[in-house]
Amino acid sequence: MKIIMEKEYLIKKWLDNNLSPSELEAFKALDDYESLVKLSKYTKRFKAPIVNYEEALNAVEQKINFNKTDSNLWYKPLLKIAAVLAICFGTYYLTTTHNSNYSTGFAEKANIELPDASTVNLNAISKISFNKSSWKKQREVFLEGEAFFKVAKGSTFNVLTNSGIVTVLGTQFNVKQRNDYFEVSCYEGLVKVKHNNVSQKITPGQSFILFNNKIQINNSITTNQPEWLSNISAFKSVPLTEVLSEFERNYNVKIVSKNIDLQQLFTGKFPHNNFIVALKSIVEPLNLTYSKKNKIIFLKRE
Amino acid sequence: MQKKNNATICERFLFNAFFKNHYKDLTNFLYYKFGERLNPQDKMQEAFVKLWENCKNVPPEKAKSYIYKVATNLMLNEVAHQKVILKHQKKITKHYTVETPEFLMEEDEYLQKLETAISNLTEAERVAFLMNRIEGKRLDEIAEILNIGRKAVEKRVYGALKKLRKEIDGI
Repeated sequence: MKIIMEKEYLIKKWLDNNLSPSELEAFKALDDYESLVKLSKYTKRFKAPIVNYEEALNAVEQKINFNKTDSNLWYKPLLKIAAVLAICFGTYYLTTTHNSNYSTGFAEKANIELPDASTVNLNAISKISFNKSSWKKQREVFLEGEAFFKVAKGSTFNVLTNSGIVTVLGTQFNVKQRNDYFEVSCYEGLVKVKHNNVSQKITPGQSFILFNNKIQINNSITTNQPEWLSNISAFKSVPLTEVLSEFERNYNVKIVSKNIDLQQLFTGKFPHNNFIVALKSIVEPLNLTYSKKNKIIFLKRE
Repeated sequence: MQKKNNATICERFLFNAFFKNHYKDLTNFLYYKFGERLNPQDKMQEAFVKLWENCKNVPPEKAKSYIYKVATNLMLNEVAHQKVILKHQKKITKHYTVETPEFLMEEDEYLQKLETAISNLTEAERVAFLMNRIEGKRLDEIAEILNIGRKAVEKRVYGALKKLRKEIDGI
């Protein structure tokens, strides 16, 4: 009886991807090991077909517009009166509910002041959006990309991103949300990061990093504000693919690599205002060679 | 401590972000639950459209369960108790072949058995099992999406595994 229970216990942990190293050894020693692994492997062939993000989003957006014009048809006689009223109230409506949007392009940075004298510094290729008139009730900013926040003390301040929500009361912190890499760094005060309904608090000097569905808390910050504000991109054990993306954003080039492990962790820095030095800072420590054609850089192993 | 939240998903920015976060999982969920014949992609899109149309009445924290409920109902309206068939994907051809014809034939037989066995699972078992094995979702994640307890998910996934092994390996 005990042997059967142990087997069931191991299999359940294997299903949850939760085997400790010693449990894994025990699991591999089971008679059923081979057939379980085979079953698991072939089950993956029944994967749902891939959904194309752009196509799906376009289809949804089209359906939304299409539906709107349909329901407008029977309002047509009233439209003329409504139009006049709309013009009168239009400006009032826009000034109270319209969102303020700020965005940066390649190699661009921006400094934005929020309604309560909090400030936001935007790094290249980043976008923020917030509502001025509802600021007193709720301090909320939507962010795509990277920004350094200096938040004045007050009510809860929220930064919404695709990867999670960052909440503070009054403090200084950096949020970086790029593709699959999400990093929140705390420079002062207390910062709460919420991802998939799980909250994590970080204190000054700590970073919350989410990459490849793994969460890590690092205690590695030594400066009192992010280095990109001084025009330097600094990385401590960051996947190379993210380092190259940051380079592309700051120099408006495209990098093509061959035979290079893009998941390897990179520690180092590069400046934003010296192309050759910046490129060498990445290429030399990793023993790579590069060639440049117009706006494309080719990297390969030496 | 009550936090007054007036946010909705009516903002295009937020709606798009929400879409990006959930469109894949929702479509996969529909596929595993209902198969491919009833066009899971279409129902997924309809659910998001409905969310936008009702965005004022759906608080952001309820949005996820809203789209899952709407999409499932849309599917149920069309389902006619058809047996759910999931097609396995043809293997991507390599430039060289190491496998013998015998191996490929055995592999195909195994896949057929597996296909039948999967369609013999209950819907609940199938959805949970495929989300776990194919999408790599952990039991807690599945519990959150399906809005059931972790033990219930474990029962479904493990139950599915036992049934499949019985049908395929005779254990």
